[in-house]
Amino acid sequence: MFATVTSGAILGIQSYQVQVEVNASGGLPCFSMVGYLAGEVREAGERVRVALRNTGISMPPLHITVNLSPAHIRKEGTAFDLPIAVGVLIAMGELPEKSAGDMLIIGELGLDGAVKRVNGILPIVLAAAKRGCRRFLVPAVNAREAAAIPQADVCGVSSLQEVLLYLTADETERQHIFPYLKPDSSRSDKINEVPVPGNRQEEIDFAEIIGQESAKRAAIIATAGFHHLLLIGPPGTGKTMIAKRIPTILPPLTPEESLEVSSIYSIAGQLPSVPALLTGRPFLNPHYTVTEQALAGGGKLPMPGLVSLAHRGVLFMDELPECRQSVIEILRQPIEDKKVNIARVQGSFTYPADFLFIGAMNPCPCGYFPDQEKCGCSRRTIHRYLSRISGPILDRIDLCAEVMRMEAECLQAGRPGLSSREMRQRVEAARQIQADRFRGTAYSFNSDIRLKDMQQYCSLGKKETAMMRKVLEKMDVSARAYHRILKVARTIADLEESQDIKEEHLLEAVYYRMNDGKYWR
Amino acid sequence: MNQYANESIISSKTESEVNVIESNQVEKAKNNDQTQNDTDEYAAGNNLVNYAIYDELPYLYWLYSIDGFGRKTILVLETLLGSAKTIYHLPENDLKWLLNERQLRDFTGSRKRWDISGEYQKLKEKGIRFYPYAHPDYPATLRKIPDPPAAIYVRGRLPDPARRTVAVIGTRKCSGYGSTMAGQLGKALAQAQIQVVSGMARGIDGIGQRAVVEAGGRTFAVLGCGVDVSYPPENRRLYDRIMERGGILSEYTPGTMPKAQLFPPRNRLISGLSEAVIVVEAREKSGTMITVDMALEQGKDVYAIPGRLVDGLSGGCNRLIKQGAGVILSAEEFIWELGIQPHPDPAAADMAAELRKPENTEKLSPEERKVDGFLDYNPQSLSYFAACCPEIPLCRLTRILISLCLHDRAEQIGAGFYCRKS
Repeated sequence: MFATVTSGAILGIQSYQVQVEVNASGGLPCFSMVGYLAGEVREAGERVRVALRNTGISMPPLHITVNLSPAHIRKEGTAFDLPIAVGVLIAMGELPEKSAGDMLIIGELGLDGAVKRVNGILPIVLAAAKRGCRRFLVPAVNAREAAAIPQADVCGVSSLQEVLLYLTADETERQHIFPYLKPDSSRSDKINEVPVPGNRQEEIDFAEIIGQESAKRAAIIATAGFHHLLLIGPPGTGKTMIAKRIPTILPPLTPEESLEVSSIYSIAGQLPSVPALLTGRPFLNPHYTVTEQALAGGGKLPMPGLVSLAHRGVLFMDELPECRQSVIEILRQPIEDKKVNIARVQGSFTYPADFLFIGAMNPCPCGYFPDQEKCGCSRRTIHRYLSRISGPILDRIDLCAEVMRMEAECLQAGRPGLSSREMRQRVEAARQIQADRFRGTAYSFNSDIRLKDMQQYCSLGKKETAMMRKVLEKMDVSARAYHRILKVARTIADLEESQDIKEEHLLEAVYYRMNDGKYWR
Repeated sequence: MNQYANESIISSKTESEVNVIESNQVEKAKNNDQTQNDTDEYAAGNNLVNYAIYDELPYLYWLYSIDGFGRKTILVLETLLGSAKTIYHLPENDLKWLLNERQLRDFTGSRKRWDISGEYQKLKEKGIRFYPYAHPDYPATLRKIPDPPAAIYVRGRLPDPARRTVAVIGTRKCSGYGSTMAGQLGKALAQAQIQVVSGMARGIDGIGQRAVVEAGGRTFAVLGCGVDVSYPPENRRLYDRIMERGGILSEYTPGTMPKAQLFPPRNRLISGLSEAVIVVEAREKSGTMITVDMALEQGKDVYAIPGRLVDGLSGGCNRLIKQGAGVILSAEEFIWELGIQPHPDPAAADMAAELRKPENTEKLSPEERKVDGFLDYNPQSLSYFAACCPEIPLCRLTRILISLCLHDRAEQIGAGFYCRKS
């Protein structure tokens, strides 16, 4: 007898539907699986057979063929165990033929028949719901995650026994045994209280940082206009502290953004089972020994890398010049295109990677430049140190702020600085102005503005043009940097609720463009 | 004992030579430009010159280039055998009496490999002039120092003996103050037609020499490596310009790579070529102070630019002043002390006055003027300016600093560090 069960799989960030076709017929008893399968999928046959026996169903001596269609895409992972088991049961006649119709089944099986957690549930359910699928049979551990999609009727199961119970029951009984989970209605109230794994942002606040006003100012400008930021300062001055607090001044994730980010975490297997959706902005802080694959995404079928896990959040790289050159260069594409393309034999995979990049570094290897009394570095050592960050990367970083060593009396005086709440209010106000300005365009932030639209959004008056000409002449500013300065000035003008870009906005933008000019050469 | 006897012979011989050659120098000084023509040509027109030296040059070049031959060995050979040509043609058996086994191996090996005329031709093609001690153009000032080099190699030209020559030296890692002072001094000396000798090192040396070149003056760099090696590499452009405007000098064979132990000996040439040594900025224990010691040994005048007591980089200068070195308060005054120019008007001669540029502050706003007042030659951080002007909010302070940069008052040094523009 022939049976077909619907399941789903992930390819890159995209999800596609997989039909599990099972044919049971007479002949030499065997269990064969086809459909371009990876090792762990092939092993599913063994798991299914033992799990069925341990659930009390012995398999008759039949010739069973399983095909996972479409057969030209390589299948990986253990999520096909449960649909195969269900397909086999239908083909054997243990379950009614239509029992698994119009339903997406996914899950890994243990030898005892337990249904275990799988990765990537969220994007699979999301895509299937868009295709019109309504009912989902998923591992109980993943049920919350799947239930985040409002259109989905999700049933979480924890053993093969429960699956049998569910599939043999009729519609009314089913409702009774396993009431469908609904999205957590209280979610919107708890926004920003749910941290991304490893990121407890509710406990930290910018008010804890004493002084460092210029770095804080740069943080506001950076988050308001989505400009990438480089923090420069001696060791132990709070560069990491500042970077860690930047998510606290970013506006909370919108529900769509939350779904997007959660999908990526789901694929990476990093989504906590409760609560299912991430609401806090991701903050990633990889060590500088990070590899290219870990950053961009690696594997035969690539898993999302750190740049994608930082999507809609902050990617913070401390000690940037200590990173391998090739690792830094990898950041070029995501910073420019807000996504990362990874080519493999299987095809080209695109992951979103729209993050705010925060880099931190010392001004020189010993950290004390330009204090000649303390700095032991020669000009050449400093140059070599700085030149580890290549021009193309520097060009893409709009803002550069210094983090100063604080004198003891300053630290003790303890005049509290701006708090995260105040800063976020200003950021949100500036973002609102941008949202109004860019309504109906492809842009969402000032940093996105392309060259052809510069005239429209960043036009200067006569006085300002004359001043910028002077800047170009005197401050050794490149043409590309010039446009970046204009965009930052636009954000500063937005922060000060000014319609036009004025001289003072330009001057401040020039100040934060330290990564140009002779300091770097 | 034998060796010492040889040395005394040498010194008596060289002294008599010095007299002959110095009279040459006087005559030569009259038509200095001619010196720059090919030496052979020039020599043909000068009857006083010992022609034999020009035949000797290729052989001397070979002799001085033998690996593993120290100056002592060469001195012994020269004293006993007279000319390098004789040494070159000496049969191996005769050399056995003079050289030990290792030296003999080096000697014969080098003689086999070396193409006498070809190598000298190559040297000439590279534009390197070779002046052994006996050469009439060998700088007279160097003959007077206690330990004159056996030969010097020159790219460009030799210092003009008719002009005054001063060394400007200092630390490699200098402060903003030091670099400003070196620049000012270099410019002023160039304008007074004074030749500046230095080491083309990073920091003060290079900055001073660059200023001389930019002001159109003459400057000479004494290197601690071969003259065809541009070290430090970042001064490559300066090297080229010094070669055009003055000369690159070294006592080391061309192609010698820079080594730490080669630098202190070259310092004696920097002071040896000059009549006075100016120390711009130096720590109390530093290579610059080695040069100062050598200058004192050679009986040269030493001058220092004073600095603040708290500033370690000026420690050496202040110590020198305490010990009685000349104090430089203005370049003009120093030039007057050399007897070149009339005594300057004290008001105009204030070296720092021009830098303060009070006339330019009129264009500035009151706040800008206030911040301008806190600018220093040592870079200061934004937080320093914020502490000095607490009434100015930070975002305005950043704007003021950039505005001051645009007015040529300030300059960015590091991230968030600003100093007065020189």
